[in-house]
Order: sequence, then C-alpha cells, then structure tokens
Amino acid sequence: MIKPEQPNISLGFIPLTDSAPLIIAKELGFFEQWGLNVTLQKQNSWATLRDKLHAGVLDAAQMLAPMPLASALGLGAPPANVITPLVLSLNGNAITLSEGLLQEVLKENEINSVTLPMAAYLLQKVVEKRKRNGEAKLKFATVFPYSCHYYQLRDWLKAVKVDLDDVEMLVVPPVSMVECLKNGDIDGFCVGGPWNAKAVRAGIGMTALTSFDIWQDSPEKVLGLLEEFHKKYPNTVLALCAALKQACAWLESVPNRFEAARLLCNEKYLNAELDVIAPSLLGSCLTHQSLPPRSIPSYNQFSVSNNGCINQPELVRGEWLIKHMVSAGQIPPHVTIPLDLVAKVFRPDIYQQMRLLIEDQGVQFYRRSG
Amino acid sequence: MISTAKKTTQLASHEQLNILLIDENVQRAESIVTALGNSRYKVSHLACTQAGLLKQVDEIQPDIIVIDIESPNRDMLESLHTISHYNPKPVVMFSSQQDTETINLSVQSGVSAYVVGDIDPERVKPILDAAVARFKAFHKLKDELDDTKHQLESRKSIDLAKRLLMKTNKMSEEQAFHSMRKTAMDTGQKLEDVAKTIVSMLRSLEQGHEHD
Repeated sequence: MIKPEQPNISLGFIPLTDSAPLIIAKELGFFEQWGLNVTLQKQNSWATLRDKLHAGVLDAAQMLAPMPLASALGLGAPPANVITPLVLSLNGNAITLSEGLLQEVLKENEINSVTLPMAAYLLQKVVEKRKRNGEAKLKFATVFPYSCHYYQLRDWLKAVKVDLDDVEMLVVPPVSMVECLKNGDIDGFCVGGPWNAKAVRAGIGMTALTSFDIWQDSPEKVLGLLEEFHKKYPNTVLALCAALKQACAWLESVPNRFEAARLLCNEKYLNAELDVIAPSLLGSCLTHQSLPPRSIPSYNQFSVSNNGCINQPELVRGEWLIKHMVSAGQIPPHVTIPLDLVAKVFRPDIYQQMRLLIEDQGVQFYRRSG
Repeated sequence: MISTAKKTTQLASHEQLNILLIDENVQRAESIVTALGNSRYKVSHLACTQAGLLKQVDEIQPDIIVIDIESPNRDMLESLHTISHYNPKPVVMFSSQQDTETINLSVQSGVSAYVVGDIDPERVKPILDAAVARFKAFHKLKDELDDTKHQLESRKSIDLAKRLLMKTNKMSEEQAFHSMRKTAMDTGQKLEDVAKTIVSMLRSLEQGHEHD
C-alpha cells in the first residue's frame, strides 16, 4: 500500500447527481482504505470552486471537463496550472423546454406531439416567428461559460442552422434553473441532474433530449487539482484517484446506483428527493408529466468494465473541447493556445500509474451488489 | 499607472452608480444601504432570494455588483458579458470566511472581480471607489492595447499594399503611397481600407496569372 504524503484532503464538489463518485468514495470508506482523510466541501458556484482551487483553499475538486483547460489558459480568472488525472463521469446533462415554449413549438409546426429526442429544427419556426414579429428572443440557460452544457446547447441548435444570434444564452446556477423556468425568465435550459427531472416532476417543462443524444459518451466531470500539488504529494494524488476510480467502478452496477441515490438525497449532499435523483442514475429520462420516461442506459455513466479507459483523460478529448471553446469564440485574440496545452492539463500518465497501483494491490474492483 | 487610476476616479466621482447588492443577510445589507446613503452609489436592489434576479439585472443594468462569494448567483452575474450581451461590470465579492485572504491573492490580478473581507458598512465606500477605479483603469489599458494592435495591423496592410504596388506597377515608394492616398481621398475611404482592397486585388490577379 502506498503512503499518502498528505492524508488530509479538502475536496470541492457542486451538489449534482454526477457528484456521486465523490460521495460514494466518502460514504463507503474508499478514501479511508487508501489512507486518506477527505473532507467534502460543498460549493455553490463554479467560479468560487475554481478560485478556491487556484488559491489552494481546496486541494482538489470535481470540475466541468473544460474548466482545467480554461484555468490553464487564464480564461475568466488569472491562469493556474490545473491538471486532471481522472474523468469522473460521462453524459448526464439534458435540455428541458418550458411548457410555454413547448406549446409554441406545437402551434408553429402545426403538430400535436413532439417525437423524442426532439430535433432542434422544430424550434426554427418559433425562432423565425419571434424575429418576424419583433418578439423577445428565446432565452436558454446553461451553468457556466466553460461547460459542456453550453457547447452541447450550441451544437444542438447549430446542427439545424438556428442562428445563434437569434437566441439569447445566459448562465443560471443549477439550483435556480427550475424556478427561472417556472417564472418565465428563461424558455429552456441545459443542466445536469437532478434539475431536469425536477422540472418534469413539477409539471413545468419537457425534457426534449439528453446530452447523450447530442454527444455520445464524452467526459462531463473531471477531477481537477494544481500541478504543484501533484509534484509535492504524488502519492496522495494516486490514492485520491484510486479511491475515486473504485467509487466509479462501484457505480457501474445499476442496483448499486439506487443505493447511491439514497445517499445523495442527504441534506449535506444534494438535499433533494429520491424521485428526482434516482431516475437518471437508473438510466431513465423523465420527459413530461403526460409522457412515459425514455430509456437512456448511459444517462449517467461512471465506469464501463469492458472499456477500461473511460476514466482516463484522453488527450483527444481535450483537443476536442478546445475546438469547442474556439468555436464558441471563447479564446480572446491576445491568448495563444500553446501546442502542448492539452498534454499538460490532461494527464493519462498519472491515471496509468494509478491503474498499475490498483492491479498490484489486487483491489477487488467490480464489486457487484448483493 | 497610479496617476491614470486617480484621474479615472476623479472623473467617475460625478456619476451616479447603480449597485446591485445581493446578500441573504438582510441586516447587513440594510446597514450597507444606510452607509451609502449620501453618496454617488445608489443601491437599486437588495436581492435576498433567487427569484426574479435575472429580470432585475435586466431592468437595473447595474454598474457594480456586490455579492457574497458563496452565493450561487456569482456564476450568473460574472458571465453576463461572457456569453450574454452585457458590458463587463466590476463584481465586488465579500466573504465572511477565514480563507478570504488566500482567495484574494488568486483573484487579485483578475480583471473584474475583487474579493474583500467581511463587508463592513464603514469601509464599504472606499472599497467600491477602489473597485470602480481599478476596473476603469484596466479597461482603459485594454482599450489602448486594442487600439495599438489595430494601428499596427493597419500599418502592416498599408506597407504590404505599398510593396505590391511598387513591384507590379514599378512605382517608387513615394509614388505608391501617393497613389493610395489619392484613391482614399477620392473615394472617401480610409487609407487602411484602400490598402486592403489593393492587396486582395493584386493577389487575385497574381493567382489568375499563375493559372494562365
């Protein structure tokens, strides 16, 4: 067993369904098994989580996959050498439209129902009608500028040539999404669980499609930490990755995920009801109060045993995210992207070290329930 | 740099500035409003809850946002200019937690966000003054940088056009420049635009020749 140089870790997370690996590793004692004393620090905004990580107030944190790249480039904050040695989850987001927008879509397209996953071309007529009549643009919310949510929303709309200048995009914190949709402040949003399910249960929206319908199996949340922290405490980082990887593997089993949902409900974590947390974890996408759920087995994906590398931060995924940042116009002219940027931020080498370590220890990885 | 900042402060001191203050601690918020009573800062709203915040931002169009660093609304307010069409605004964050100093160091060199300790009504005015001054100084610097960059670019196209004219029309440097300036004056265009047209025209002609 390795000995972590620094056993006390403060680990930041934002209360979302896909923070499951962090919560499971804590609740099931995986961190302890690896000699760590981890304190989970619930955060309310991505920007504050980022600033605390940069400042060393947090030792590591669950981050949106594009965030470590944005940190390295100095987008939105002074540059910091954030690295990611582990992908925590794939997919997990969805786009939900307000009941009002749904009615407008039906009316403008002269249809009685929408086939799910909904194609964005059905929105085109609404966008055009609003433009023609000088009405307010459709407003869509995402959770952070440097997020897959934002790029997914853009890709969905762009695929059918909806002019992005004809809609308005803004950021709303996940906890306020449902309320904003209800008040008519926004017409739709792209957010992670449990907020899509929450809107459907409340009868105020329809989940039109999941991020899995837009991008198949792309990294969503990653573990982020400072390069300096890794240099100083390499064994601590390996232990942290090993415990989280073990939690991801535990979450591969669907029966286990129901147990996870029960833990996530807790006030100190998501503080939400089981009936909005459990569905996506079980591969069910709630769609609308009057419609049956859709089966999306990969809605929340944490580990796939016949594909050992989904938790590995692949460079090609990083390059792909950079492309989206460029396409969204997020790289200002005075910022040049270093050629080795992705190789510095995405660290499959640390991931591989951790895997060897786990194999050496013969850790029972795929603990099925029962 | 210091003199620039001072100058901007003086300039700005006549303006009435709208503040959006977001604080769940009603008592603290009220004491801040009182402290700012007779100043150029007008506290337009006290948002204690999440509801309707978006609409308020739209209506108030605040000049400064003052917010608790632990508020979930920080992401929304800070990204108004990143992905929505708002002008950038200074965001002053306060934090009652022990670790403020450390976070402050990392945010300090940021462009529009400032962290202060637990906000004290006595000290709130100078803090806002400093934030506004720094924000303006930064944006002035950025504008100057953009200007210089632009001038450099236009210089580059003019030089390139001049060289191309000299080569293809066998002109002297002076002749080439005069001919461009004349075209600019005759057509009421900027010299830079004339240069760009010349470059693209001569380039496409060159390519045409290559195909012959």
